[in-house]
Amino acid sequence: MASAAPPARSRRNFLASWAVNIAIAFTALRTNLMRSLLTMLGVMIGVFAVTLAVAVGNGASEAVTETINRFGSNMAILIPAPDDGEDGPPRNTGIRGRLTQRDLKAIEAEVPNVRAVAPQLRRQVDIVVAGSSTSSEAVGTTPGYGFVTNQLADGGRYITTADVRSAARVVVLGRTVADDLFGDFDPVGETIRINSVPFTIIGLLEVKGSTLGDDQDDTLILPISTMRQRFVGDSLPGPDDLQFAFVAFNEDASLARGKEDIVNVLKDRYRVKPGDVAPFTVRTTEEFVEQSNFVTGILQAVLVSIASISLLVGGIGIMNIMLVSVTERTREIGLRMALGARKSDIRNQFLVEAAVLCVLGGTVGLALAWVSGVALENYADFPVPVGVGTAVGAVLFSAFIGLLFGGYPAVRASQLSPIEALRTE
Amino acid sequence: MHPLVETRNLVKTYELGGETIHAVNDVSLTIEQGEYVAIMGASGSGKSTFMNMVGCLDVPSEGTVLIDGIPTEHMSSDDLAALRNRKIGFVFQQFNLLARTTSIDNVAVPLIYAGLDTATRRERATAKLIDMGLGDRLLNTPAKLSGGQQQRVAIARALVTDPLILLADEPTGALDTRTSEDIMAIFEELNASGITVIVVTHENEIAEHAKRRIEFRDGKVIEDHPVLNRIIASPREEVEA
Repeated sequence: MASAAPPARSRRNFLASWAVNIAIAFTALRTNLMRSLLTMLGVMIGVFAVTLAVAVGNGASEAVTETINRFGSNMAILIPAPDDGEDGPPRNTGIRGRLTQRDLKAIEAEVPNVRAVAPQLRRQVDIVVAGSSTSSEAVGTTPGYGFVTNQLADGGRYITTADVRSAARVVVLGRTVADDLFGDFDPVGETIRINSVPFTIIGLLEVKGSTLGDDQDDTLILPISTMRQRFVGDSLPGPDDLQFAFVAFNEDASLARGKEDIVNVLKDRYRVKPGDVAPFTVRTTEEFVEQSNFVTGILQAVLVSIASISLLVGGIGIMNIMLVSVTERTREIGLRMALGARKSDIRNQFLVEAAVLCVLGGTVGLALAWVSGVALENYADFPVPVGVGTAVGAVLFSAFIGLLFGGYPAVRASQLSPIEALRTE
Repeated sequence: MHPLVETRNLVKTYELGGETIHAVNDVSLTIEQGEYVAIMGASGSGKSTFMNMVGCLDVPSEGTVLIDGIPTEHMSSDDLAALRNRKIGFVFQQFNLLARTTSIDNVAVPLIYAGLDTATRRERATAKLIDMGLGDRLLNTPAKLSGGQQQRVAIARALVTDPLILLADEPTGALDTRTSEDIMAIFEELNASGITVIVVTHENEIAEHAKRRIEFRDGKVIEDHPVLNRIIASPREEVEA
């Protein structure tokens, strides 16, 4: 009976003591229901804002990646503009940009792993049929374009090498353009006027949908030779020059390696000496994804920083209310100490109370963020994915906020002298 | 055999307005196991301060308190908490029950800090409440109990860890005469079962129930002798039940 050692507490009851603390916390919350709800509201708004900011950032990055992937993922984009080796708009180097159809033939012949190439001339055109008209971007290209962009004909046929050779006045319409002009009526075989020139519709493009307001069905495809003769020939520096070219690689091929090969072929053709500025620019989809991820990353960081301020304010609310709670319950703290509570027991009791407030508020905030995300996705066509990772992170983070801001009041409570606390009225 | 409680040159001083006040001034005494002691004195005599130090709630300025032969002066606050939990039961004038908490949960509080699981806590708390004649008040909150019932819940709580010492600070101060008698009868019974009871009071009638009477004045013991004509409290039917 008269043992000198203080009673050792078994680890077995570690969880039980937390369960007790959670029960005490809920009793305290019920006792001051209104106050607890208002405090939770602060954390709720904070977690809502932060979660939504994270989700919007993830959504933006997802959307950009998806757009690029939908358009054709493993490809290089060639532009006839001097490459000064930096991102952003090219500086005026005094060098004229060049890129020709012959360059593209050389690439197709010399660079390994090329799946398809697509030279392009693009121009905004007006399209008229009896009774209606619209305007869209026409792409003059070769049959390779369909393979590069993964968008072939769904009804009718795609443009062929023969169409290109003969500069045929044929056109493949994107679904949006077709709907604008014909509605539900199947337009294949009909004649339309593009910038007053009559064309025969030979097919419709596969529907791709739109991402971030970029409608990939709002387009029309013509043979590149027709486009050159009829619409853009005069504005180009030479009879063989291009405005764009895509080079698609096989799925398993290295894009970085492919880009290097293309650059080497073109440098050879334009006799670019080491140190000179090349008259062409080559970028890969990989680089675009990286670049856009960098931008959306910054966007996300800014959003999250701003949202974090509201969470910080919520946390301060928690600290405030916990200080009040400790003061109000000083006598209870003294009593518990008299009955054998250790400092750590008192500290944990108040930490758990703060954490419970935060986790409850945080869970509601998370749920609201999830609902908002779904609503945005459905009504604003903008993906706002609140994933499992974000959800778990949000709840853990709100518990962390509770421990952080509940820490000071809890430690203060645990430092009270039992007799002073008991004497408090 | 060492005494259950021993104080050696116990001193407690406060600084008040630049003056040093000796609330307890050089008190040395021993209390053996099984004693029933009344600590008397006017307000400000130092009796409560003395008791708080014996109960390990307050730290002496000088001197030392030994509980069950163990010196407490160099104990950590956690060790003191464990000591209070296992060896000392407290009964307060204002009962100090947790509001909005059932009798069972109030009585079970010390067992939380003893590290017992929920089932054992409830079982032991229920048993003590039945001992106190509150078998039909297990799930009542303090607001639904009379003063006497509340104090009995508090006594059940003090006893639930089977302590060696019961420390009661003005236990009847908030109760009427008849109810006070009930409480004193419980103390009588507990003492008879072997628990050392120390009651702090300023009322003579309460002190008369004890076997030994220690009187404080100005922080010093001025009287310490056995009670000759003890009053034995007679329990009411209800309490015996």
